[in-house]
Order: sequence, then structure tokens, then C-alpha cells
Amino acid sequence: MSTVFSLAWRLFRHEARRGELTIILLAIVLSVGAVLSLSLFSERLQGALQERSASFLAADSQFRSRNPVDESWINEAQNYNLQTATRVSTRSMAFGEEQMSLVDLRAVDASYPLKGEITIADAPFGNESVTEALPQPGEAWLDSRLFQTLNVEVGDSVYIGDATLTISGVLSEIPDAGFSIFNTDPIVLMRMEDLASTNVTGPGSRVNYVSYFTGNESDLAAYYDWLRPKMDDEIHSWRAISDDDSPVGRSVASAERYFLLASLLAIILAAVSIAVAAQRYSQRHFDPVAIMKTLGASGPMIRKIYVLQILFIAVLGIVLGIIMGLIIQQVVVWALADQVDVTLSVWHWRPVIIAVFTGAICALLFSLYPLLRLFSVPPLRVLRRDIDSNMSSRTLQFGAAGSAIFLLMWAYSQDLKISAILFASGIALVAGLLVMTYGLILLGRKLGSGSMGAWQLAWARIRRRAMDNSVQLISFSVTIMLLLVVLVMRNDMVAQWRAQLPEGTPNYFLINITQAQKDALSSHFEDNNVEVDEFYPVVRGRFVAVNEERVNTEVTKEDEDAPREGRDGLGREANLTWSNTLQNENRIVAGQWHGDTTVSLPEGVFPVSVESEVADRLEIELGDILTFNIGSEVVNTQVTSLREVNWQTMQPNFFFVIDPAAMQAFMPTYITSFYLDTERKSELTMLLQPFSSVTLFDVDARINQLRDIVDQVSLAVEFILILVLAAGSLVLIAQVQASMDERQEELAILRTLGAKGSLIRMSVVLEFLIIGVVAGFMAALANEFSLFMLQTQVFQMEASLHVEYWIIAPVVGAAVVGLLGAIGCWRLLSLNTTALLRKMV
Amino acid sequence: MITTKQITKTVTTSEGQLQILQPISFEVKDGESIAIVGASGSGKSTLLSLLAGLDQVTDGEIYLDNEPLHSMDEEDRAQLRGAKVGFIFQSFMLVQSLTALENIMLPAEIAGMKDAKKRALKIIDDVGLAHRAHHYPNQLSGGEQQRVAIARAFIGEPKILFADEPTGNLDEANSHKIEDLLFALNKNVGTTLVLVTHDNELAKKCQRQLVMQGGALSEPAADASSLEREAG
Repeated sequence: MSTVFSLAWRLFRHEARRGELTIILLAIVLSVGAVLSLSLFSERLQGALQERSASFLAADSQFRSRNPVDESWINEAQNYNLQTATRVSTRSMAFGEEQMSLVDLRAVDASYPLKGEITIADAPFGNESVTEALPQPGEAWLDSRLFQTLNVEVGDSVYIGDATLTISGVLSEIPDAGFSIFNTDPIVLMRMEDLASTNVTGPGSRVNYVSYFTGNESDLAAYYDWLRPKMDDEIHSWRAISDDDSPVGRSVASAERYFLLASLLAIILAAVSIAVAAQRYSQRHFDPVAIMKTLGASGPMIRKIYVLQILFIAVLGIVLGIIMGLIIQQVVVWALADQVDVTLSVWHWRPVIIAVFTGAICALLFSLYPLLRLFSVPPLRVLRRDIDSNMSSRTLQFGAAGSAIFLLMWAYSQDLKISAILFASGIALVAGLLVMTYGLILLGRKLGSGSMGAWQLAWARIRRRAMDNSVQLISFSVTIMLLLVVLVMRNDMVAQWRAQLPEGTPNYFLINITQAQKDALSSHFEDNNVEVDEFYPVVRGRFVAVNEERVNTEVTKEDEDAPREGRDGLGREANLTWSNTLQNENRIVAGQWHGDTTVSLPEGVFPVSVESEVADRLEIELGDILTFNIGSEVVNTQVTSLREVNWQTMQPNFFFVIDPAAMQAFMPTYITSFYLDTERKSELTMLLQPFSSVTLFDVDARINQLRDIVDQVSLAVEFILILVLAAGSLVLIAQVQASMDERQEELAILRTLGAKGSLIRMSVVLEFLIIGVVAGFMAALANEFSLFMLQTQVFQMEASLHVEYWIIAPVVGAAVVGLLGAIGCWRLLSLNTTALLRKMV
Repeated sequence: MITTKQITKTVTTSEGQLQILQPISFEVKDGESIAIVGASGSGKSTLLSLLAGLDQVTDGEIYLDNEPLHSMDEEDRAQLRGAKVGFIFQSFMLVQSLTALENIMLPAEIAGMKDAKKRALKIIDDVGLAHRAHHYPNQLSGGEQQRVAIARAFIGEPKILFADEPTGNLDEANSHKIEDLLFALNKNVGTTLVLVTHDNELAKKCQRQLVMQGGALSEPAADASSLEREAG
């Protein structure tokens, strides 16, 4: 073993045993532990949540086509180790013995669904249970609604196209039914084997060919890369979990971003604590370096000794940090086991690599500047104790630290935007703090003048240290800011998720309510303690022409035999509504909403607002004249606005919203919704009995499922919050501890000079209180800035001011930092003066 | 052993250049012991730092064992110190995280001596601290710490030993023990000794005394009364 190695090892061993390395080790252990447990947990949680979202796609990814898909494309997926399933769906008429209905016909192969579950009911709208089975060939499962409309029972026959199928089950839920309620028809699930015999997918019919894929992420990506060049965007589309815009998809996506944010903040926390610890470590080693240099140690030898030491510390810190991270993660998983299905069977290497990388980069880059200072300590310090390092460059210090943090964040998140926002907030905070500390010095001269009491002593120390210890003040502020960001972000985000589906969200919808039934239904429901929501008027109308050019209006197979030419139509009657008020989750993307403006239109032409996707599909533009047939009447409208509609919300949405003036002559039916507790489900039959012509949509299960997921995600986010708060608090403690040691010398002198314990204690507490208030206030300001940027740029949320934290942060900052200071001070003052002086040596 | 020719030291302060050493020339012979005395701020520690190669002269020449210290860089001077120089300081300057024995071993290890531990064990016994070998500096009394420092200074059998107020932090009884130890070892090893002190008694034990005053060095006639006056 070389001299250098054995010296470095010996120094490391003794210092570790004597507790000299506690602070820097604690910093590394904490950072590695926090980053590991956070990213390990969030990775597993993301896996679990993605699994849940995948169930809404019935697979990890879907490939949709309007034409039959080339067999070889699906077969190729097997070469990428992907599991596949297929579905063909079309809108068709289903016939009972007497009645008929337009249905969403879905023919699936035996592998369907790859993810998620099918639920069936024991009777229409009856008790549900999960099944792994599918209808057998020759059979069909029908949506509860169809039993009502077609007037059929299980065991009866249903006629679809040329085929006759036996109804063998009541279909309650399928994974990829979609979230929209009103533009879907009741589903009929049947086997692919029977599809050909129906003859409903002939030329000209609108058929969707869906291929499902499941496999690991990289295989899916590789397959998509193979498939992408072959895709024709007119015909084909690819959907992955990340494209999910449902409430679940959005919650999961923002939760993922939150986890990422929390992990990034943990990295910064780690960096800050390591920076503080490294600075202190370096200062404590000025003497040994000067002594060794005096005794003849060369520059390279000193460098090797200390780089080795840092390496030992980093390795030990990383190992202990990994152990700590695994323990925390185990505890969290154990605590969450009942609520979230986070599997421990899958081992993720990425978090471990990230944690090790973070520990190593932080330990090396943040100790770079303190080490450079250490290396440049002149041997003359052995004679002249006041001589410090020859090197001092705040630019280098902040530059190195800043770029290290930024690189770590960027490398970890692979998201330039989120990294840049956090980094810019950090820079703003540091700049603001520097200005503030200058201000404090000026203010302190005024406030701290007069005879020497605790208050004056506190100010004197702040004045003297304000610039020297700016790193410490900044680290307090950054820590508090990060904790605020994580806390406020979590509060806002969970509040917004919950707002999507508040308690009492309607879970049943009623359509086809006539004017005559409207009041009777209201009062009947009221008598049974069920409150009915607003009634939306609806007329069924057929969209027949654009600018007097007729569009195709085929509805059924029979209509489709006519050759297709000219413009596409909707293919069925549309629900038309009228309103002057723009609905929630609707956004005007072109033109102006007719309720907000008056436009002069030709006589007999009324403004209409068209949903933007349908406008795209039907090639409708602003200013086009659209003609509708409503009953025997013709209504002419002009497109005055295009709307983007979020179809994933649990509310009625419409393709066409017409000016109320156009519709006065028509007798509408109404749509309404109500909330009924899941436990009262059995009352449904009784509630609806007097209104047999009214159709019921049951979204209770779906809403419960959504709420369940949102609750799980919120809970997970809460745990992450607690983890970050715990890590942050420990960092604060380490910081106070470190700065307390710096004050040791002064305390010893004051004590020796006979200063009362109460005076010293009060002065230290005041000093920390002042620092805490300043740090808290600066943190609140920086928090506001970061939140604004994060919410508007990353989380697509509405930004909000958090004035309460402008008070809470300084108060809590002062209380926590002051308390920690008092505890640290109490520890020092409990030593007698001799012990204090000896500690200084 | 030491030759200085017109060495000066000037530092830059906020009020301009300040010359803290006037041109100084003197010689110290092999095996000789000299004491540099003077009031606080007279420049004696500055002179010691230049002689030991801890700092650089502004002007003039210093030869230590015929090596030109004034033209060497920090690395070369460190090497020279490691090979030929020992130090004892007023504040002991022990590495707090190493034990007494390891502190003594330190210069020998830095110099790459294979038998560092063996030498250290012998010398710690010589200074009477074998039973304290594994104690850390803050577990030792001031006198014991200085004995460790002396042992550390002698482990490499240096050609020249610089001592800066070696008894400055000690009580009288401990001071005497340390002085005796210092001179005994000095005699045994045959080291040249340069000692900076306030203490006339200690200075008198050296073969020659030099007086620093206002940055200038003088060598008074060896009568005690004038020496006492100068040292104040």
C-alpha cells in the first residue's frame, strides 16, 4: 500500500470514527437515499399506474386502421416479442324480434383484451362481476341498454346483418369502451369468427380495424419504429398510454411529472447539502494541509490524499445511501400496500444508477471548489493562523455548482424545460438573496447599534458572516423553497384532480325525456330523494348539406349500397342542441362564440358552432352554410365558430351547437343526469319504472374507477411529499449543525470572557431567527416564481398566487431554523469552557 | 548551514508597500543553536518563515544547506523541508484526526521512509509518551502535545530544526521539561537549531542570540543585561 493511500485511508478511518465526517457523509447518504427511494418508488408507482391506464386501452398500444391491416404487419410484432390481439368494429343495426337499434359492433379475437378486464352483469343494470371469458362463436354479449331498446333477454337471438347470434351475456364494461358518453352507441361484443357471416364490413362501410400490442417499452418502441414508415396518416394511427387524454391519463401524466419534479428537487437538495458539507469539510482541513505541506508533502501528494479521501467518503456515503434508500422504499411500499398495488417483483436498475451517479457527481463536483481552495492553503498558515486559502472565486464556485446542478437535472429528467425553469428560479433566488444580504448588512448597522446585548451580538454576527456565509443562507432558502414547491404543487394538483370528479358527480344520465315527462320525472326523483341536474334540450337532426352541396347521409347497411361520392356526412343523425353559453371544457379555436357577439347573417340563417375535429373530417370551414333536416323542416346555419371539445369529460358534448333562435319551433327531448349512491343502485328500476321510454346511461362504475385511481395517485403523491419533506428537514438540520460548528470558536471566546449562557443562547437563537425569516421570505418569493413557471409551462395548470405562504414560510422558517439553532447551541453550551476551548484546537 | 544575504520582505497593504524586514545578512553554522529574540511584531516569525522556506523573500538570497531557497518554487521548497527540516510550533500544530503515534510518523511517511512506524515507536518512547501513543491530540495535555510535536520534529533526524515559541503555550514546569527534551535531542542528533522566543532563559540556552527590532536584526554582545533590555 503506498504511503499516500495509507495516509488517506488512515485519515479517513480516524475522522469517520471521531465523527468528523458525519456532516458530509450524512449529506451524501441523504442525497443518495432520497434520490434512490424517490425514483425507485416513483418508477414502480409509474409502472403500476401505467398498468392501470393500459387497461383503458386494453393494451399498451393500439394500432388503428380504416382499412384491413396487412397480416404480415401483425405477425412482425411477434418478432419484437409483443403479444397481439385484434378487434374489428363498425356501427351497424342490430335487430331483436320487434325492435332495432344502432349499435357499436365489436368483433374480437380470443386474445382480447391484453390489458384490463371485461365485466358482465347477472341482469341488465344488475350486479357486475369480472370475467375472463368471451362470448363463444355464435354468441353475443349485449350492453344493458340494448336489452331495454331491443326488448330481448339472455337466450334470445339478435340479428346483425346476415348473421343470427344467441345473446349469452349482459355486457357491463369493456376496457377500451372510451370515456365519452353521448356519441357512443351501445356495444355488442362478438367473436371475430362470426364477423364474415354478418356481411356488415363490406366496401363502403366505416370500419375500424384495431390491433392491440403489449410488451416491454423498448420492444414496443422498436416495433413502432419499424411500423411508422409504413403508416399512412390518412388511414392509420397509433395510440400509446402517453396519448391518453382521459382524466386518468391526465392525472397519471401530471403525477409522473410531479414525481420527476420531486426527484429533481431531491437532487438539488442533495447538491445543496453536499455543497455546504464540502465547504465545511474543506475549512476544517486547512490546518492539516498546511502542516503536511510544512512537513514536506508535495502538491501532488496532498491532492492525491484528499481526492482519495473524498473518494472513500463518496463510496461509503453511496453505499449507506443505497441501503437507506432501499429501507425507506420498503417502508413506503409496505405502508402503501393496501392502497396501491406496487409490485416489488420487478427490479429497476435505473434508480440505483441515478442515485449512484447523483452521489458521485455531487460529491466530486461540489467538493471541487472547496478542494481547490484546500490545495492552495499555504504552509505559512502554521505560523500565521489568519492566512486562509490563496484561492477565492465566487464565480468559479457558483459556476461549477450551478452547471453541475443543471447537468444533473437535465441528464435525469431529459426535459430541458423543467430543468431550465427550476434552474432559472434558483438563479433568481441566489441573485435576490445576494441583494438581500447586502440590504441586511446596511439594515443591520442601524438595527444592531447600541450597547452589546443579545440582539446586537446577533446582528454583529450576521453582518460579519452575511457575505462569507452567503452559501449557507442561500442553502437555507433553497431548501425551504424546494419544500414549498413540492408542498404547494401537490396541494394544487390534487385539488385540481379532485375537482375533475367532485363528490356527487352525476353517475347516471337520462336521455329521450319528453317535454311532458320533464316535470313529472323531476318530482318523482325528488320524492325519492334523488336530485336531477339541469335538462339539456336536444333535437335529432340530420346534417344534409354544406354550402348547398349534399353530403352522404347513409345510416345503415341498406343506405350504403348506393355508390359513395361527394362529401362525407356524419353517417347518422346528430344530437343538436342550442345554447348561448359555451359549455365547460369547450374552447373556441376559430371564429367567435355566437353567445358573445352578434353577427349579421342573411335572413333565415342562424349561427352554429362546430366541433373542430368533426369540422376537419367533414371539411367544414368558418363561414360555410350548413343545412340540417329536423323532422320535415330545413334549418340553415352558418359556421361562426369552431370548438375544441374535451370528449373525456363526464358531461354531454355536442358536435353542433346552434343559436337558440333557430330552434324555437322544434319540440326537443331532454338530457339530464343525476347522482345516485352506488349502494342505492337497486332503486334504479323503481326510479325509472314510470318512464319506460327514457334511456339510462350508467357511468357509475367508470366514475368510481376514475376516482379510485385519482385517490391512489394522490396518496402516492402524498408519500412522495413526505419523503421530500423528511429529506429536506434532515438537510436543514445538517446545515444548522454545520453552521453551529463554525460558531463554536466565537461561543468559546464569549463564554471564556464570562458572557452569560442566556445571553449567548439568546443571541444565537435571534441570529437563526433572523436568518430563518429572511430565508423563508426569499423562499416564498422564489417559490411563487417557480410555481408560476411550472404550472403554466410544465403542468398545464392554471397558475395561482399563494400569498399565505409569504407569511407561513418566514414564520415556519424562523421557527424551524431558530429551534434547530437553539438545540445546537444548547448542546455546545452544555460543555464547560475548557471542553469548548479544547474542541476549537 | 544557513546563509542569508541582504534578505528583505515587503508586503502590500491597503496603505501601500510595507517593508517588514530590513536587509538582513547572517550565517548559522552546522550544529549551532541560535535564538532569535524580539518583541511582538518585530518580525522574528517572518524571519523564521523565510529561513524555513515557508514563505519567499522579496529580495536577497537564502541558502539552506547550500541549497538556494530564494530561487526555489513551493514544490522544491517542500521537498527540501521534508528532507532536511524539522518544526516545532507554539500551538503544536498536530493533525487532530491522527493519533500521537501517527502524528510522529507523518513526516517520515511523507518522506517515504519504510521504517516510519519503527522510528516513531522508538522516539515516542524517548519522549516518554509510549503509553499515550494511541491518544488523539485533544486527549493530551499541552505539555504532552508539545512532546509529540518534538518527537515528530526529530523523527526524520533533520539537519536543521526551527522552533517557534516552543514553550509559549506551556506552564513553567512543562516549559522546563520541554526545553530539556529539546536540547537533549538536539545534542544527540546533532541538529542545527533556530529558535524564536520571548523567553530569555530559553534563549540563553542557545549558543548565540540574535535580536530582532523593527524588522532589523542585530547580534548583541553576549552580556545578559543588554539581551534582557532588547527582549523587553
